[in-house]
Amino acid sequence: MVGGAEKWVMMVTAQTPTNIAVIKYWGKRDESLILPVNDSISVTLDPDHLCTTTTVAVSPSFERDRMWLNGKEISLSGGRYQNCLREIRSRASDVEDEENGIKIPKKDWDKLHLHIASYNNFPTAAGLASSAAGFACLVFSLAKLMNVKEDQSKLSAIARQGSGSACRSLFGGFVKWIMGRVSSRQKETSSTTGMRETVETSLLLKHRAKEIVPKRILQMEEAIKNRDFTSFAQLACADSNQFHAVCLDTSPPIFYMNDTSHRVISIAEKWNRSEGGRRSHKPLSTSQHRIWLCLYEC
Amino acid sequence: MAVEAEKWVHMVTAQTPTNIAVIKYWGKRDETLILPVNDSISVTLDPDHLCTTTTVAVSPSFDRDRMWLNGKEISLSGGRFQSCLREVRSRASDVEDEENGIKIAKKDWEKLHLHIASYNNFPTAAGLASSAAGLACLVFSLAKLMNVKEDQSKLSAIARQGSGSACRSLYGGFVKWIMGKDEDGRDSLAVQLADEKHWDDLVIIIAVVSSRQKETSSTSGMRETVETSLLLKHRAKEIVPKRILKMEEAIKNRDFTSFAQLTCADSNQFHAVCLDTTPPIFYMNDTSHRIISIVEKWNRSEGTPQVAYTFDAGPNAVMIAHDRKAATLLLQRLLFYFPPNSDTDLNNYILGDKSILQDAGLEGIKDVEGLPPPPEIKDGIPSQKYKGDVSYFICTRPGRGPVVLSNKKQALLNPENGLPK
Repeated sequence: MVGGAEKWVMMVTAQTPTNIAVIKYWGKRDESLILPVNDSISVTLDPDHLCTTTTVAVSPSFERDRMWLNGKEISLSGGRYQNCLREIRSRASDVEDEENGIKIPKKDWDKLHLHIASYNNFPTAAGLASSAAGFACLVFSLAKLMNVKEDQSKLSAIARQGSGSACRSLFGGFVKWIMGRVSSRQKETSSTTGMRETVETSLLLKHRAKEIVPKRILQMEEAIKNRDFTSFAQLACADSNQFHAVCLDTSPPIFYMNDTSHRVISIAEKWNRSEGGRRSHKPLSTSQHRIWLCLYEC
Repeated sequence: MAVEAEKWVHMVTAQTPTNIAVIKYWGKRDETLILPVNDSISVTLDPDHLCTTTTVAVSPSFDRDRMWLNGKEISLSGGRFQSCLREVRSRASDVEDEENGIKIAKKDWEKLHLHIASYNNFPTAAGLASSAAGLACLVFSLAKLMNVKEDQSKLSAIARQGSGSACRSLYGGFVKWIMGKDEDGRDSLAVQLADEKHWDDLVIIIAVVSSRQKETSSTSGMRETVETSLLLKHRAKEIVPKRILKMEEAIKNRDFTSFAQLTCADSNQFHAVCLDTTPPIFYMNDTSHRIISIVEKWNRSEGTPQVAYTFDAGPNAVMIAHDRKAATLLLQRLLFYFPPNSDTDLNNYILGDKSILQDAGLEGIKDVEGLPPPPEIKDGIPSQKYKGDVSYFICTRPGRGPVVLSNKKQALLNPENGLPK
């Protein structure tokens, strides 16, 4: 049965988790491709509690790409959205929805427009990695819609161009974002993010990226593999603090933590020391939210 | 006429300034001798506004060494006090007070005991460098009392053993503490880069954010940083040496732009390595951060820096303005964001050189309330104010080094019995 050819709508809905870095990503060596100055490692959080849900739809009746975030229409004209859309579209293949009699050959995708609706069940722009979850979900759901035949790591490389930390939300559990090979072609373009200012002005960041993080990455991989909570906690706390330290070493200085964040750290540190080993640790992301991972050693 | 030999009291009173580091000292390579991991540079503040006054007295009638700090008797048994007393005593020479017929031979000094009274006109242990001024004053006044014939740099090496930053309070103006190489620390001492008249346009405003005791002492904090911060080693070895040279140039040439850039960057980096410590050390608080934001915004809107800021091991902000005009504009901004509590007299809210209030056109609270938002705030959203978050401000300037006070009224000990007045 052939449906009214001009009016069909094909949709896919997907859900993606957010993640929290335990060895931090801070500093790009290439602004447009979003390539970092060091590796990073994260823990993916349970999407039952924190997640992005995205529905992507395609129809010949759509006249332009449109997106709604948490119910409000937003612009897709920015470089990051355009990168993701372009990269996925170029990898689209034939799609057949037998149930509804819809067929989209590969060559049609670049003429068709998309409607995208996304919803975070946690606050946006408050340092809870909503752009990570959001871009990961966008890329993942579009890839499903367009029948993209790439593996999850390849999809993560596309999500990375939307938002660096998004690439780590393409997997569950413990995830590593590999920085990749440094090439002389890579260059910065101008933007006004704090991260760029740190790269340009912090003398400590270079040292961190070159000498300190590579060792910590290896130690963290070991700690995760062996479920060694003491090492895991030590490394996570140290790296969180060092990330905030290089933010402070920026011109102008960046303060993400406030007095309340500091009090939380003091409470955790005091308790850890009184227990001898480490019972809880407190990696803090770029905001005033405190993310506690309380794990108990058996 | 012979005075009763057993009861005479011989006294000296001296006054010493405090100082604020613009390239920071944080980290020792020797805990006992107090030898640092890098050089540091400071500005000495005008003792008219912030100072330590110390009276030292000697008498055969004293049966032990005693000290009173801000009226309270304290113990002299700690290593730092003992180091200073020992080092100065070993350099004592003959003293003759003709007026009172007192003669003390060099060999007598080690049998005689001392009474010491010291008074800071600013809060102790709240990051306003009270131990720097205090130990410097102790060493300086004892050296005068005991007729020690060492130069100021040698005295600074002794003061250093009481408190590292004390060595920089032996001079006025701009001072460098050379880290030295010798294991015995004899070459770790202070030298003057320029005196207080060299760059006397500068005006300094201190925001006293809190005068509570700070949580982490500098001594234990910097030891923890040396032991646990991977960034500190890099700072001390690669970054500070270059900054020291640039800062010396900036001071010599009165290049405020470079001076401000280096000062702010080094303050922030010091706090960064504190954060990079295990456990992390937070000396700045939300009010400190707000002050930094206010200064940074203004500096950027003007194109060239008008004000440098720096923070020691505490939340208090020390702001160094390019000139009087910049200081006045700064004060207006600070009072706009941090007005006094309604029951505070403006006269008690700005201390030190209060005449800056007149320059700013501020005679009373009403004038403060009438201050417009700074022009660099463009968004038209009403600015939030933080009433009461600053306890008070002090307005001062670069100042002179230690001096002896000859006015007997300023002595803190009674000349009859050597006890606190």
